[in-house]
Amino acid sequence: MNSKRILLVDDDPDLRLALRLPLESAGYSVSEAESTSAGKEAVKEVDPDLIILDVMMDTTTAGFQFALDMHNAKPDSEFKKYRDVPIIMLTAIHSTTPLRFAPDEDYLPVQTFLEKPVDPDVLLAKVREMLGV
Amino acid sequence: MTINIPGPVQHRKIVEAELVASIGWLIRIRWIAGICVLLATWGIETIFGLHAPYTALYLTGAGILLYNAFFYLQNRRLVERDASAPDYMQLAKWQVGMDWVAMTLLIHFSGGIESPVIMFFFFHIIIASIFFPPRTAYAFALLAIGLLSATALLEYTGVLPHESIYGLLDAPLYQNGLYVISMLVFFSSTALVAAYLTSTIHERLRQREEQIVRLTESLQMATTRLQTLNEGARVVGSTLDLPQVLERLVKSTAEAMGVHACSIRLLDKTGHKLDPVAVYGLSQAYLDKGPVDLEANPLAREVLSGKIVNISDALSSPLLQYPEEARQEGIQSMLSAPLVGKIGPLGILRAYAVEPARFTQDDEAFLAAIAAQGSIAIENALAYRAVEQLDTVKSQFIRTVTHELRSPVSVTRSLLRNIVAGYAGQVTEQQLDILSRASRRVDFLQKLIDDLLELAEGKTEIRLYEQYEPVPLERVIQQVIKRYEVPAQEKDIALHWNEETADGETLVLATPEGLDRIFNNLVSNAIKYTPSGGRVKILLSSTGDEAQVTVEDSGIGIPEEAMGNLFEEFYRASNAKALEREGTGLGLTIVKDLVERFGGRISLQSTVDIGTEFTVILPVEIAATQTFPHTAQPGALIADHED
Repeated sequence: MNSKRILLVDDDPDLRLALRLPLESAGYSVSEAESTSAGKEAVKEVDPDLIILDVMMDTTTAGFQFALDMHNAKPDSEFKKYRDVPIIMLTAIHSTTPLRFAPDEDYLPVQTFLEKPVDPDVLLAKVREMLGV
Repeated sequence: MTINIPGPVQHRKIVEAELVASIGWLIRIRWIAGICVLLATWGIETIFGLHAPYTALYLTGAGILLYNAFFYLQNRRLVERDASAPDYMQLAKWQVGMDWVAMTLLIHFSGGIESPVIMFFFFHIIIASIFFPPRTAYAFALLAIGLLSATALLEYTGVLPHESIYGLLDAPLYQNGLYVISMLVFFSSTALVAAYLTSTIHERLRQREEQIVRLTESLQMATTRLQTLNEGARVVGSTLDLPQVLERLVKSTAEAMGVHACSIRLLDKTGHKLDPVAVYGLSQAYLDKGPVDLEANPLAREVLSGKIVNISDALSSPLLQYPEEARQEGIQSMLSAPLVGKIGPLGILRAYAVEPARFTQDDEAFLAAIAAQGSIAIENALAYRAVEQLDTVKSQFIRTVTHELRSPVSVTRSLLRNIVAGYAGQVTEQQLDILSRASRRVDFLQKLIDDLLELAEGKTEIRLYEQYEPVPLERVIQQVIKRYEVPAQEKDIALHWNEETADGETLVLATPEGLDRIFNNLVSNAIKYTPSGGRVKILLSSTGDEAQVTVEDSGIGIPEEAMGNLFEEFYRASNAKALEREGTGLGLTIVKDLVERFGGRISLQSTVDIGTEFTVILPVEIAATQTFPHTAQPGALIADHED
């Protein structure tokens, strides 16, 4: 069994449950945060191997901001050591707006997107891919 | 002679143009004159066989052609370098001077005081009187008299030899003192009278011409103004882009009036200040002078009250808020016209001039016409902008709806899939079947939401053209109350209904569905947020042209900080969320939207833990009572439409 740590940052407790169930049954150690600010605290506490992040929380772009803060952390930042933690971003945007967000190394250092509703099997496949297991 | 006037010209230019054209004409005439001298000399020699100083006469004729060639070249040079009027005047004077020397020589060689050529002098006097101002014309007339007198005197005294054409005159008259004197007297008086008559008549013609030029100028000004008005009308119809409308308006107004500057200021949202929105010809320093506040600006107040205000001396006018800045800008006159929309004043159109007392009554009428037209253009553009903004708001709203609706459904789907996929532990076959069915229904719901959203977008378009009908308010409210009788009873809430209106129905121009929605939302909210044992009171009253409906409850009330946001989409007060987890936060937004669409307004009063009172005021359609008596039964109206 692997004991990789995964941090879920999402303001919806029901969605956190929907994500937690398959991840835990696959043997991952799952932590939760209900906001980006709680998420930042949790990152330091948990030292996760992977972060799963919702795009829209307190604001419509809170998730993007969180990802930017993580991956663009300055050398003197407290998040310096988490710069390379991969992020999966949850979004419902794709199907409802003409805007297309794609992982962009310069603008958004997010490894991949996962569309809601989340199919548990698709989620696990993505996570395995990210963690290189 | 035809003179083309390219654009507005000053009348002096016309006179100059005439001079230039006349010089060319004079040179052409002189070629003929020179040739005529040569031919006449040849004529009297060969045909009449008279004795005369032919060589001298031929030389004079040749001399005329020679100096005319020189003038011809000189004139061409002046034309080439586009010389000014004084240069031409100088050339004209030289020509007339040379002509008179040649004239004197011809007279001398053809018999002096006896010569018939003397008469020719009058052509020249007339020409000089046409060319030059009266004083110069008289000077030339005197010169002619002097030259002739000198010739006669010198020949009389024998200083100059007398040349004559023998055979023309038998007795020599140049020695006859009486003849010489009387000849000179008559010549002098005739020359002066000729100069007087010609220059007087010509001066009158010149004045007439100047009048015509002035008339042409004012006609051209009028044409330009008409074109500006026409352009204004074109702008009204061609663009709805507000900045473009304003830019064109100020520029064409300044140009048409021929003034220094023009500006448009529009009232800001507060209605107390005027913002410069389009400016032509004013310096940034002047624009930065400070806010134009209605409180401090008597001129703006007067114009906005609907008056055209003509300030002829900006430096001493008490109406100005910034007289010092106007002085620095060099503004001496100001003409202001109000821009008035359908619902009230929009702003001010103003023309500025550097001359004092620049604006006439015609200008006032012109600016008023431009302002009237501009108001329409501005109002159209503003309306268009409002529609555009509304469209943006609508798009944002739909995006929010999309997220709000999709989110719970998609989470539900995620949760259900977990169970179906077995991540939440073992489920029996029957449970799996039920959950799969539920999952499919939620999938369908998701699709339904997407479709509904698409439909809603289309609906928004249709609503703009929706036809309203007179709807009896009592019936709608009673229907709503009936709907909530049972839920109220179940919650032990007393539901009161009261009507304080005149006999007959209170008709409101609206849609029955819209009115139902308004009161359904208000009553259902009142019941939802009122604890057991409380009461909900609905009261309808009317004041003739307005109907007022209050929905009062003894519920949880609305916190003060929530009041301002209550009608915003998806907003829910904290205590409402605490009491009822479910709730879209859209109910009151829809209510307010509908009330306003039906020409009404909504307000509320609330105290936490004591209760809330919503007041809806709607305009009453009085005329409809007579015109559409059958609308008391909505079904009848529908039948009408189907006919």
